[in-house]
Amino acid sequence: MQTRFPEWIRRSWASGNDFSFTRGLVEDLSLHTVCQSARCPNMAECWQRRTATLMVLGNTCTRNCRYCSVPSGKPEPPDPEEPLRVAAAVRDMNLKHCVITSVTRDDLPDGGAQHIADTVRSIRSLCPETTIELLVPDFEGDEHAIEIVLTSQPEVFSHNIETVERLYPAVRSRRYTYRMALGVLRQGSVHRPKPIIKSAFMAGHGETKDEVRQTLCDLLEAGCEAVSIGQYLRPTPKQREVAEYVTPEVFQEFEALAIELGFQFAVAGPFVRSSYRSEELMQTRFARERMDVVTG
Amino acid sequence: MTYEVKLPSLGQDAADTATISYWLVEEGDKVKEGEDLVEMTTDKAAFIVPSPKGGVLIEKLVQEGDEISVGDVVCVLEV
Repeated sequence: MQTRFPEWIRRSWASGNDFSFTRGLVEDLSLHTVCQSARCPNMAECWQRRTATLMVLGNTCTRNCRYCSVPSGKPEPPDPEEPLRVAAAVRDMNLKHCVITSVTRDDLPDGGAQHIADTVRSIRSLCPETTIELLVPDFEGDEHAIEIVLTSQPEVFSHNIETVERLYPAVRSRRYTYRMALGVLRQGSVHRPKPIIKSAFMAGHGETKDEVRQTLCDLLEAGCEAVSIGQYLRPTPKQREVAEYVTPEVFQEFEALAIELGFQFAVAGPFVRSSYRSEELMQTRFARERMDVVTG
Repeated sequence: MTYEVKLPSLGQDAADTATISYWLVEEGDKVKEGEDLVEMTTDKAAFIVPSPKGGVLIEKLVQEGDEISVGDVVCVLEV
């Protein structure tokens, strides 16, 4: 077990009243969060801010990526009441912007697309002012499934590229491919009305700066407009080791590079995650102007 | 009055054990509520535990290198 981390890999282990509120809400509504399943180091901060990233379609993923601590195996059938409970949680947390993600469900004919779309509609019904970011799996590239999700009209359509192309076989489940991930983003970028297209990846797996640049270029080419880059942190000893702790200065370089290359929004840092402080994207001029176009 | 500082839970599937890496406050020192008390590491990151109350740290119950679990008493404060 590693006993010392670089000084910038340090968070607060705090749990005040607001943390307890979030935990109570998640438990009472029998919801899953990626915060818990991925053992996110930002969890204390986010839950104290009464936010959480809710994960639908259960807590069991049908893929087994080498960096991820979400349990893998044979999942339970989707719970038809879950979309309503998620909507109730969004309402009770009083979220102006929510991020909904999902485990990968290769066992379902549509990959769970309809369930995800139902969740968006339930949130719309209960919280019409709340903007929604969907962080979706790749649906094995099934365009029909992706279309089902897109027609629910999330404000942000997100799919994580996760790592650079060379490291895909070492990092991800063999069923994921880099090109398939780009295809998911590309389909989102040509959909009308067009949501904001967002992706994320983790540094620290052994990628080079040139590979980071190439990944950013590939994402842009796929129509991606927003990107977040964080540090891979090994959730438990079962997962892949960290190859490198990227310094905050290099993360600043990545952020500047992303903007220079043409991203409308970029955030990079050791504790940046795809949904970490995602509401900041919605506060940008870019997002506000886009929403004006979408909503008329 | 004494107050036992326990390692709080971060939620069901989140980290529930940690190793004390170093104390930021010595026995006999005053601490304010929210002030950094002790650093610990999980497999994933280093975490600082803030003091839940203001007072004087009168006894450390775990030492650097000890592995502790959620709910374990870390130290005692005179509040």
